[in-house]
Amino acid sequence: MTVADLTPRQRTWSAFRRNPLGMVSGAVLLLLALVAVCAPLIAPFPEGYGADTLQPPSGAHWFGTDDIGQDVFAQVVWGTRVSMAVGVSASVLAIVIGLLIGVSAAYFRRLDTPLGVLVDLSLSLPVLPLMILVAALAGPSVRTLAVVIALFSWPEVARVVRSQALAIVPMPFVSAAKVVGGSSLWIVRKHLLPGVVPVVGVSVVLTTSRAVLAEAGLSFLGLGDPNSWSWGTILHKAQQSGSLASSWWTTLFPSVAILLLVLSTTLLSVAYNDARNHRSDT
Amino acid sequence: MRFIGLRLARGLLTLWFAVTVTFFLVRLLPGDPVLAVADPNMTEELRQKLLADFGLDRPLGVQYLDYLGQLLHGNLGMSFRQSVPVTTVLMERLPWTLILTISAMVVTIVLGIPLGVLAATRAKGWVDRVIQLTGVTAQSLFVPSVGVFLMYLLGVWLGWFPIGGAVDLDATGFGATLSMLHHLVLPCLSLVLIQLGGYVLTMRTTLIDALGEDYVSLAKAKGVRPGTVVWKHALRNALLPTTTIAGLQLGTLVGGAVLTETIYAYPGIGRAIYEAVGQLDFPVLQGAFVLLAAAVVVANLITDVAYGILDPRVRT
Repeated sequence: MTVADLTPRQRTWSAFRRNPLGMVSGAVLLLLALVAVCAPLIAPFPEGYGADTLQPPSGAHWFGTDDIGQDVFAQVVWGTRVSMAVGVSASVLAIVIGLLIGVSAAYFRRLDTPLGVLVDLSLSLPVLPLMILVAALAGPSVRTLAVVIALFSWPEVARVVRSQALAIVPMPFVSAAKVVGGSSLWIVRKHLLPGVVPVVGVSVVLTTSRAVLAEAGLSFLGLGDPNSWSWGTILHKAQQSGSLASSWWTTLFPSVAILLLVLSTTLLSVAYNDARNHRSDT
Repeated sequence: MRFIGLRLARGLLTLWFAVTVTFFLVRLLPGDPVLAVADPNMTEELRQKLLADFGLDRPLGVQYLDYLGQLLHGNLGMSFRQSVPVTTVLMERLPWTLILTISAMVVTIVLGIPLGVLAATRAKGWVDRVIQLTGVTAQSLFVPSVGVFLMYLLGVWLGWFPIGGAVDLDATGFGATLSMLHHLVLPCLSLVLIQLGGYVLTMRTTLIDALGEDYVSLAKAKGVRPGTVVWKHALRNALLPTTTIAGLQLGTLVGGAVLTETIYAYPGIGRAIYEAVGQLDFPVLQGAFVLLAAAVVVANLITDVAYGILDPRVRT
């Protein structure tokens, strides 16, 4: 079978498979997801006080222990759950809002200006201080974090979606669909969304990595869910107890976990983008 | 002139939007500001008095107009915890945040331009690959992680720089300035590391585009030295879009400053936010956001106007 016989999707996949960076990133993400799902099988939930405080990494405690004697390895494993769950759910929510707003702005011309102004205004504000304010008001919980992060991440998605959808709206098949009397909803669903989704693919990945960083930042500042562990929470506790400057293991391992997740998502999106861009094959 | 007026109007609109959004968020979200000031086992009478003291018993519209009016006089309300005006709390912190962010921006640009040029002139070579991969990695870094790493490496282990605070209190005169710079190094470097990637990658792309333009071929054909073509001809044009990135990255810079100041106990607005989170001091959080938003709007205005002066084509 020659390259010409393949569908675009197959060609993207075969180009993607040849990129080692993309494959490694995908494997890392799968591994992290596995850790998140199987956390209870890997380590007991870290709680209470332990006898060995601030022990460096050893055979008994792979990542050492913190100032109240809890196992840092267990914290990182359980943190994977919350960090990934918040990252993924916040980005899914942001993508849905961004898709709706972006496509409406492109299709319903009258909405374009007000929605465009809204997106521009939201993008020009410093987001983290705003998220801090809202998260503090709403009270810390995993759900609050996901909603707050989504609430301030959709404008970026909306902008990308709008510019892509704007290129599709003037196409003849959209006019044809209008002429045959298709409803706006049908046209948006059948003609606009399929054209926009490939771009959203990259956007999903980038939004997820930004959401993971936002969650870590908010938890680090003390806005994490007090009843569960996330990587940012581990850093927050190290900061509060002062073990930050004395015991490197309390901060190194959660930091590495954040870096692994964010970097592999970013590289995955780069690899996907390269694979989709068939011109670079030759 | 008309161009500057338009940009000014847009800046004011952004600021109004920021103020309005925060006002209504604070009043409508479940975190009842009254519960935050009041102790749960406080008598109803005392509760009502507190409400009246903070002006929280009036209709929402009246409170909103009053808030806007007070804001025009530079009044951001009273801190719930410290019983001093929020403006006083934040204004003593603002200079430190400005020192930190502006120095980080200057260092980023000074390092970013040559690195971008290096990558663009060796496009597709291994230097370029390394710079690109490092740039992408740097954009994935978590600010507190970078801060802790530098603190541990250069502060604790090598002992070159202080790991917290902004200045030695007993230093005077020139010694105080030196001590200030000494304390600035680590937080500033942390911010530079997370910012640099974005600048270098943008610089690289725009410079590669510029190097493909006709005027570059012409200059080369005329026999202008390659170095002069890059630095004097192409770079000048590539710098303009990079100015826009500087504006877009302001939000990231401010967010990064909040986290960095927390790590290094640097007494800026960010540290004030961290302390206010611990105490649930909503007026301080709200005021800090409004102040930071205003700073970003002003900085954007300056970038826009500078861009307009450098490149008359964008004056629309």
